Amino acid sequence: MAAEVVAALDVGMTVEQIKASQIGMKALGAGIAVGLTGIGAGVAEMAIGSAAVGATAENKDMFGLALLFTVIPETIVIFGLVVALLLLFV
Amino acid sequence: MLKAKQMSRLLIAGSRDQMAPVIAELYRHNLFHIEEYVDAGAEGYEGFKIGTPLSGASEKSADLIKIRAIANTIAIRADDVDVGPSCSRDELQIKIERELPLLEREVEELTVRRSRFEARVKELDQKIIEITPFSDIPVDMNLYHGYKRFTTIAGYVSREVNLNIPHEMHFSKGKDKNFLVVVFPTEQKSEVDKALAEAGFQPVPVPDESGSARGRIEFYSGETAALNKEIQEINKQLENVKQKHAAFLVACEELLKAEVDQTEAPLRFATTKQTFVAEGWVPSDKVAVITNSLVYMTDGKIFVTVVPTDLEHDPVPVEYNNPDFAKPTQVLMDVYSRPKYTELDPTLMISIVFPIFFGLILGDVGYGLILLVMAYGLRRFLKGEEGRMLLDVLRNASISSIFFGIVFSEFLGFAIPGWNPILYSRHLMSEHGGHGPNIPELLVVSVWIGIIHLTLGRILGIINHAQQDHGHHRTQAIMSNFGWIAVMWGILIAIWSTVMMPLMPDLIGLPVVMAVLGVGFNLNVGHFVGAALLLMGIIFIARESVLEVIELPSIVSHVLSYSRLVAVGLSSVAIAMVVNFLSITMFIEPQLENLSVVGVIIILFGIVVFVIGHALNTALGILGGGLHSIRLHYVEFFTKFYKGGGKKYVPFGMKRRFTEE
Repeated sequence: MAAEVVAALDVGMTVEQIKASQIGMKALGAGIAVGLTGIGAGVAEMAIGSAAVGATAENKDMFGLALLFTVIPETIVIFGLVVALLLLFV
Repeated sequence: MLKAKQMSRLLIAGSRDQMAPVIAELYRHNLFHIEEYVDAGAEGYEGFKIGTPLSGASEKSADLIKIRAIANTIAIRADDVDVGPSCSRDELQIKIERELPLLEREVEELTVRRSRFEARVKELDQKIIEITPFSDIPVDMNLYHGYKRFTTIAGYVSREVNLNIPHEMHFSKGKDKNFLVVVFPTEQKSEVDKALAEAGFQPVPVPDESGSARGRIEFYSGETAALNKEIQEINKQLENVKQKHAAFLVACEELLKAEVDQTEAPLRFATTKQTFVAEGWVPSDKVAVITNSLVYMTDGKIFVTVVPTDLEHDPVPVEYNNPDFAKPTQVLMDVYSRPKYTELDPTLMISIVFPIFFGLILGDVGYGLILLVMAYGLRRFLKGEEGRMLLDVLRNASISSIFFGIVFSEFLGFAIPGWNPILYSRHLMSEHGGHGPNIPELLVVSVWIGIIHLTLGRILGIINHAQQDHGHHRTQAIMSNFGWIAVMWGILIAIWSTVMMPLMPDLIGLPVVMAVLGVGFNLNVGHFVGAALLLMGIIFIARESVLEVIELPSIVSHVLSYSRLVAVGLSSVAIAMVVNFLSITMFIEPQLENLSVVGVIIILFGIVVFVIGHALNTALGILGGGLHSIRLHYVEFFTKFYKGGGKKYVPFGMKRRFTEE
């Protein structure tokens, strides 16, 4: 506790303020994790998606496989989501 | 189970006059997968040629084409027609001779008339488009043409134009562009063109009409309306034809297809002038049935024998062999690839694991019930076999979803009142009853599922290689698969010896072997065992293919990929919670306290938000739950052992739905 108070005095904030800003930082981190990985997954899915639509237009039987290829990069955003969940709840 | 149905290669030989009864009998059994004869001078087939169709083939094909053309015009598909009382062959034959030409003429007349009307409507629409710009100019359209010395031009300009020559001009201001009609002496055309070009002139053709523009537009619109009415009338008549003759048409199609298939079958046989030879595949347990019935039908005048199968080179067709509850899952296997004949068929495993994954992701009683209703409700619209199988998969998944909904205590994102989650909670907010979410535990459980699933995949890989490969390569492939398991468990043991995690074994307490000086970190027995396993695994993998070693990080990413079971599930819980919060806490509850007229509207709005939100989340739930579960199979599980690429077993014959034998 003493160390926290000293640290608080150093930056001119109360312990409550520091705790609140820590929660805020966690939320920001979680948001960034999901947001950036979302962009990453989107960029990756862009090319696959257009190719998948083309393939499906030529051959309707490709639909199942094409849909599957399209969701493969979704792993990236899921890792982001997992990181966000760990930040927020652990 | 876990294996394709066992097939035997059957060879049928006989004199040519026995061909027709043999074909009929094979078609009736619907079991014989014909191995098509290719005229490539194969050993033992010298002097054989591809057969010629039986008599009557071309007439029947012509009839079949007629029926398909009609069915196409009135948009009938056999899958959309309910199975009624089936017709006998003779009845249909008579009907085909009598009714088919009449029906063909009727449909053709109607469609020809319809396309003539449609063409006329298009023509009139074009005329209306051409006249419309002139409708603001109060001049009889007769006055636009018929001059020798004068020229009329019309078009759009960006601003008003002043001409220094004798002319008559009508100018109408519009919103974006202005319309103008000018009549001027032909010899001064160049000056007019110049002046107009400066005003950004875009010409439009002057229509060859008489009378007022508005009057003409009204006249043509009336005509199109009348024509459209006629077209509707024709469509109604075609619909009547469809209602009346649908059963007849699909039955005819079936009958004729069966006959055409049979008359054309000799094209797939090897024949000489006097004899024929047919080769093909039959499920091994049916060989006796087919042989006996063929011999009986031909009074013993043919020769039937089983030819030994060469598993490595023969393209054995693959028919699934699964218990009934696993059959719908075959559709998911065919999307990826049918297993090879010598390979393990993982359908049974998917049929069990897929619903569990789906339930883990979409564990919600409410959504589960909605999907269950959908799985039964959509049966009315999806009548094809594949559609039915998909709906069965959805049904199994939704039952699992309800089960896990009870486990997680969730109903449309709410906690089930008076019922606490068994084991772990996914409720993101604790004020809705129960405790907060057990995210770390849930994540570890999902990782455990991954570890077990992937280990199972590698074990299946070992079995596949043991069955398919030979000699040195077989040993290496088996060792390599074992190496992958060793690397994974080696890493796990090393991690367990280093950090403590919930629901994972704690190996930190193992006896210390060596202390790393200066860091305060002790290497215990676990670390050494882990490292030994890791090293051994890498050696085994590298012995099969050194390049595989760069794939090692995929062990970590594939195991962590299973955390989607929790992550995607939690995102759907979060969406449901947000929808509930928006609609109930923000819109409905505050208004219920003191009702007013405005309040009722807001409550109605809240209900709309609730319904749309949950409909959206259900759709996302199917996509998320279904796609991610199947993806875990296709990408993470199958890559460990499954190759696929088997040939589909297509027996000669058909499942009759509308006709009798």
